[in-house]
Amino acid sequence: MTDFDPGRRRFLGNLGLAGLGALGAGSLLSACASSASGPAKSGGSGAVTIQSNLSSPQAKTAIEKLAENFNKLGKGTASVNTIASETFRTQLPTYLTSANPPDLYTWYAGSVANDYASKGLLLDVSDVWQGLGEYPQSLKTLSTDAAGKQVFVPMTNYWWGFFYRKSNFAKWGVQEPKTWADFLAVCETLKSKGIPPIGIGLGDTPWVASAWFDYLNIRINGAPFHRELLAGKQRFDDPKVKAVLTRWREVLPYFDPKGKAYPFQEATTALLAGKTGMFLIGTFFADAAPKDALGDLDFFRFPIIDPAVPVAEEAPTDGFFASAKSANPAGTKELLRYFASVEAQEEYVKSSSGIVLPVHPKAKAADSPLVSKGKAMLESAAELTQFFNRDSSDALQPTADTALTKFMDKPDQIDAILREWQASAEKVFKG
Amino acid sequence: MTNVSTIAETPGTTASTVAGAPRRRRRSNRLSPLLVAFVLVPFAVESIWVFWPALQGFWFSLTRWDGQTPPEFIGVDNYVELAGDATFRGALLNTVIWLVLFGGLSVVGGFGMALLLQKERRGVGFYRAALFTPVVFSLVVTALVWRVFYQPDGVADQILRTIGLEHLIRPWLADPQTALYAVILPALWRQIGYVMVLFLAGLKAIDPALHEAARMDGANGWQRLWYVTVPQLKGVNAVVLSVIVIDSLRSFDIVWSLTKGGPYHSSELLSTYMYSAAFQSLRLGYASAIAVVIFVLALAVILGYLVRAFREEA
Repeated sequence: MTDFDPGRRRFLGNLGLAGLGALGAGSLLSACASSASGPAKSGGSGAVTIQSNLSSPQAKTAIEKLAENFNKLGKGTASVNTIASETFRTQLPTYLTSANPPDLYTWYAGSVANDYASKGLLLDVSDVWQGLGEYPQSLKTLSTDAAGKQVFVPMTNYWWGFFYRKSNFAKWGVQEPKTWADFLAVCETLKSKGIPPIGIGLGDTPWVASAWFDYLNIRINGAPFHRELLAGKQRFDDPKVKAVLTRWREVLPYFDPKGKAYPFQEATTALLAGKTGMFLIGTFFADAAPKDALGDLDFFRFPIIDPAVPVAEEAPTDGFFASAKSANPAGTKELLRYFASVEAQEEYVKSSSGIVLPVHPKAKAADSPLVSKGKAMLESAAELTQFFNRDSSDALQPTADTALTKFMDKPDQIDAILREWQASAEKVFKG
Repeated sequence: MTNVSTIAETPGTTASTVAGAPRRRRRSNRLSPLLVAFVLVPFAVESIWVFWPALQGFWFSLTRWDGQTPPEFIGVDNYVELAGDATFRGALLNTVIWLVLFGGLSVVGGFGMALLLQKERRGVGFYRAALFTPVVFSLVVTALVWRVFYQPDGVADQILRTIGLEHLIRPWLADPQTALYAVILPALWRQIGYVMVLFLAGLKAIDPALHEAARMDGANGWQRLWYVTVPQLKGVNAVVLSVIVIDSLRSFDIVWSLTKGGPYHSSELLSTYMYSAAFQSLRLGYASAIAVVIFVLALAVILGYLVRAFREEA
């Protein structure tokens, strides 16, 4: 049923487009004609469709607001088609390979975009990047495919950390831990007070466990090893990976036992209600949090385990790529230029939940201590990683979900679990 | 997916033909054009929407295909891999458990309810409707309701706590020991009502004179059930069996919405494994091979029954 839905929405979306096309059946033709005769300007070309997975209410409003503002600029028309995230993820390859695909997609930079680019499915947006001279090199590298052309335009990123309620930490008499030993001490204190120290939500959202794997791996083995592992250049049954799970095993007794059964949204509720102590999660969790709780939230960075390893942080970058088969590449690029601008990103930050960071160096993030702290953490990091699925692929993610949930249930079977993980990862890499 | 829906449609119709329609009418030598149209038009439609995709499924099962680049022929490699795939074996075993428990219990439960509710008494309509209500809900909605029931500190846990069995409380859907059974329960809850209606229809069709005669001959209640009711239901049994087998093998929505086959494949069925192989791992060739296995399984069970049924009637 759910699978059918997007098709229907797409169909309805196309009907909508057809309605717009009623302005003149020749509008597409005239677009072709005008792009042949000169640069396509407003008026001639059809609307640019944005296929968006930003389905949480605030983010949805924000992206729709941006499209509205773009339409006022008179450089073209954009329409937003919002789709539930999980459906979007499974249908994305279908969208991109269909004969008449939507033009623009909200999605991730890095290896996911690279993978589609290597199949020739993405629009080359190098000329958009020519106007983005102020962007840091790291973002440009992230948006560049294996062939050296840019295929992605970033708009925002966010961070992961251990979130907690300031009032609760004060009540329990604990401080933000800096090192692994501090962290264990905090866990012990909370446990002695009858509070499950570490919240998690794996029912329905098992990928949340990958944050633990990512962070332990980049803290113990460093970001370069982590990237190689996720790209299939290292093995999951390597002793270095075993060291990650062995370290993780030390804190397993501190996890909320109910976390296995409910999704991260409910784990958020548990954290806010003081039923768990802290929660390793990305800032998107705040979408599900009531506004009055936001002021009481704070976070600390994943504790340092080996001081010799350069500090890396997870900073998933969100943005857009476009279909190579877009009927209106000029309009699509115009829209991308707008999304990359200071005013668009500030508008987005303002209309959404606010705990996202604009990627344009000159765009101002929301003015709150929490956001400044997150921004400072990312700026001080020696390296940035994205997240498990973004640094590898959506196809590899289920192998991690299986291995990690099994590990959390049966930590005495680390060797067998890692062997299975390697075997299933090989199948994914082989295709 | 296509394979499953193919078999979902066709054998059902065959079975009901066997069951009810008069078979001995000889057709005349000349076919009426209307009859030809009635056969050919659906056949053409089926060919495009059912047979062709099904055949394509067989072809894809011999390829490696990610859905984006053209499929690459690799012979029987997918089937060789299936033979050595522990997850596939687990899913196969779970599907057999599902078939036995879900199928068996819904027949027993449905038949029992039908016997209980067949007599026209005051208020019996209410009970029939109540039992049939779950069928009306979409399985996804059913899953949402049951998820609330199973969630930590949810209704199930509260009931256990009230009756002093709190040591039994566990994360029902997240515990590999209980996940599969926790999913079978809502599926049964729905299926029993459906099977009950099929049996009720069958029971209504039994000539009361048969029971009357048996009673005159001194048969007790059990004997009448076993020697009159059950044999008279033969036609309905074929329908019920087909429905049960097909519903078991295509059970997907309820599992997917409750556990997605997890935790770590412990509630994986062939159908959910096929879906995740196809749309999560993007291994459409391998997923097609699983689909072919499901198709063969369904065909084997149903053909086995039909052949036997034909032989008995002949």
